[in-house]
Amino acid sequence: MSEQTKKENVVLHAKSLSKSYSIVDAPDLKVLNQVNITLHESSSLSIRGDSGCGKSTLLNLLARLEPADEGTIFWGEKRIAAASKPLAVEASWRAKHVGVVYQSYYLIPELNVLENVLMSVRLSGLSIAEYEPRAKELLDQMGVESKSKQIPSKLSGGERQRVAIARALVNRPKVILADEPTGNLDERTGAEIMKLLLNASAKEKTSLILVTHNPSFARATDETSILKDGKLIYE
Amino acid sequence: MKSAWPLFLAWKQLFPSQKKVSFFSLLAIVGVALGVNVMIVVVAFMQGFQQKFRSDIIDAQGHARAVPLKKQVDWKKDTKKISLQPEVEKVSPYIQGHLLLQNRDYHAVPFSMGIDPSQSDGVLPLNQFLQKGFIPIQGYESRDVTPVPTTDLLDDDVVFITQQVANRLGVRSATALLFDDQNDSSEKGRVLVEQLDPYVESDEWKIEFIDEDKYNIRNQQGSIDINCTFNQPLEDLGWGYPKFKLVEGNKPFSKGDQFKFQIFRSSTIEIYSPSMIEKAKSDEMSPPREVRVGGIFQVPWQGFHTDALIGTDRFMEDMRGEENACDGFFIKFQTDYLHDENKLGELCARLEGELEGDWSIIPWFIENAWFFDLLKFEEYLMVLIMIPIGLVAAFAIAIALMTTVLRKIREIGLLIAMGGTRFSVGMIFCMQGFIIGSLGAFIGCGMALTFIRYRDSLMSFIVTRIAGEDGQAGVTQFYDFYSLEVSYPWESEQSMITFLTFIFFAIGVSTLAGLLPAWRASRMNPAEALRSE
Repeated sequence: MSEQTKKENVVLHAKSLSKSYSIVDAPDLKVLNQVNITLHESSSLSIRGDSGCGKSTLLNLLARLEPADEGTIFWGEKRIAAASKPLAVEASWRAKHVGVVYQSYYLIPELNVLENVLMSVRLSGLSIAEYEPRAKELLDQMGVESKSKQIPSKLSGGERQRVAIARALVNRPKVILADEPTGNLDERTGAEIMKLLLNASAKEKTSLILVTHNPSFARATDETSILKDGKLIYE
Repeated sequence: MKSAWPLFLAWKQLFPSQKKVSFFSLLAIVGVALGVNVMIVVVAFMQGFQQKFRSDIIDAQGHARAVPLKKQVDWKKDTKKISLQPEVEKVSPYIQGHLLLQNRDYHAVPFSMGIDPSQSDGVLPLNQFLQKGFIPIQGYESRDVTPVPTTDLLDDDVVFITQQVANRLGVRSATALLFDDQNDSSEKGRVLVEQLDPYVESDEWKIEFIDEDKYNIRNQQGSIDINCTFNQPLEDLGWGYPKFKLVEGNKPFSKGDQFKFQIFRSSTIEIYSPSMIEKAKSDEMSPPREVRVGGIFQVPWQGFHTDALIGTDRFMEDMRGEENACDGFFIKFQTDYLHDENKLGELCARLEGELEGDWSIIPWFIENAWFFDLLKFEEYLMVLIMIPIGLVAAFAIAIALMTTVLRKIREIGLLIAMGGTRFSVGMIFCMQGFIIGSLGAFIGCGMALTFIRYRDSLMSFIVTRIAGEDGQAGVTQFYDFYSLEVSYPWESEQSMITFLTFIFFAIGVSTLAGLLPAWRASRMNPAEALRSE
């Protein structure tokens, strides 16, 4: 892939991202220090690191859920000053182009499985009627189609995370940000979920940033990196 | 189909999938519904009472009352002039004053009014007042079959008095009791007392069937003993005798069937007038005027004198020792003037002009303005008391929604991470308030309509529980909820306004109750929200 093509295929790029927190013991705790990150179309990147090293913070900064202290973020061609306050227009872009998967699933308890998946579609302002077949198809791929009318409290942890993955993929986002998606699952289920996530994102040609503690899961991604002392080191 | 997701989520949080309704939603909606119901019902009833009092006042006083500003000798000309106006339906002159009534050692000084019975008909519904004042006697092995007196019975030696005066003097009008009513439960015909005039004497009357279409009628005094047939029924025996009427039943009468009536004459009362007292001062003694009690009446409007006497105009002239007297006249207009007070006021002013300023014409709403001001004040006070109750309900909703926000911190974080704007996330809670308010208002309106529909039985139940069976009569004497005209919103503009006001109030307050939680949710840092435990 030529340098030019590579540049054209970049879906997410962050440059010199820094973030500090002020806590009681450390008034200026720098969790991210001049971090650079580039994610190409249909590629996957894993980020490992110790607990509290700033992995989730990095995902939050990339998703523009909170402002960085400094740095620049590119969502495709769109340039964003990372230190600026997140805007409503960015929420709209996020709804259409970013899927999120979290360790704690975060399914909405009042909605059934299908409604939970379609929540992404609703937030993007897309047509429910148009996307409902796709949602069902994804649930089928995840092996939980039969549970589509169930409410989340009736599902196991693994099933809930499958639903969360389907929800992240349903409106064909450009990027999925997965924050320790297997953290709450046993090893076997975690492996199944990870396999599903990687396969689905590859099949959907969706880029993936995977935060994980598990080296074997990390190795399954195209690129691997470690966040240490506020720096992102590619392996 | 694109959808407004905050509304969808708000609805789902109140009515989750696989669950009909959440406990919080149920409590909140029922709370709003009860509030709306109570507010509508109270105001609707207050308006119903106002409407009732309005029609009672008009019954008792007409639409307007003309009062002479100076002594009017030519009043007949003036009343004729007014009665010829196209807007005027009827005019009824009256003479008024106070008379001293005596029966043995009992006395009463009622407000007394003399009217022309032929003219007053259509202005004052005297027959209705007599109907309302009629209280049958509870007899042992007998039944009160007295016909309700009518204005036909009023002459110069007969008066009608209110229940209060009758009770104070211990008098009553002529009464008929039916003893040993053999045909009470059978399908055979009956004998009714059709009329009992004030001059009828106490006596026992018996009607006995000789065969199925022949009967004998006689009194104990022996003045009447006549055989009659159905083909040649008993003619009216005349003034001073009861008038009977035979009503055929499904089965024919048979020999031996008899109807025994005990008739009690009407009480006589002695009346003294101020003019008699004046004469007494100059040692000119005149005997009291003896009159018979023709009927006992009750005016539904409590503002009317409770101690009152109604006689003929000539009777009052005699008592006052005046001729051609008139203290004013009641006016009844066409019905389209009943509800438009401005129009009525303008008409009264115009009629005053027609009478060249000799009379003051006072419309009913001016004469009783104090009362309606009081009712309005009561209505506003009720609303003022109820509004804080509504606000308390709103605070309860706000607190419950605020708790929901705190419970759903991570969901709020997720929704923002998935692309929801802070405004939209806030709207979820605002819309929950809106939905609770709307459903509560809708159900509250339904409850209010049901309450209004079944108000008689519900109010009766409540009043009986509070005041007991006996107390119910006392309550209805002032607040006659049985005949309360409470309008449905599709029947009157005022009712529609009441319903809409409280619907919008409930929805508005509930939506506002969601604002604080909505603001709290929209101010949340999504990254912190996602990290929260």
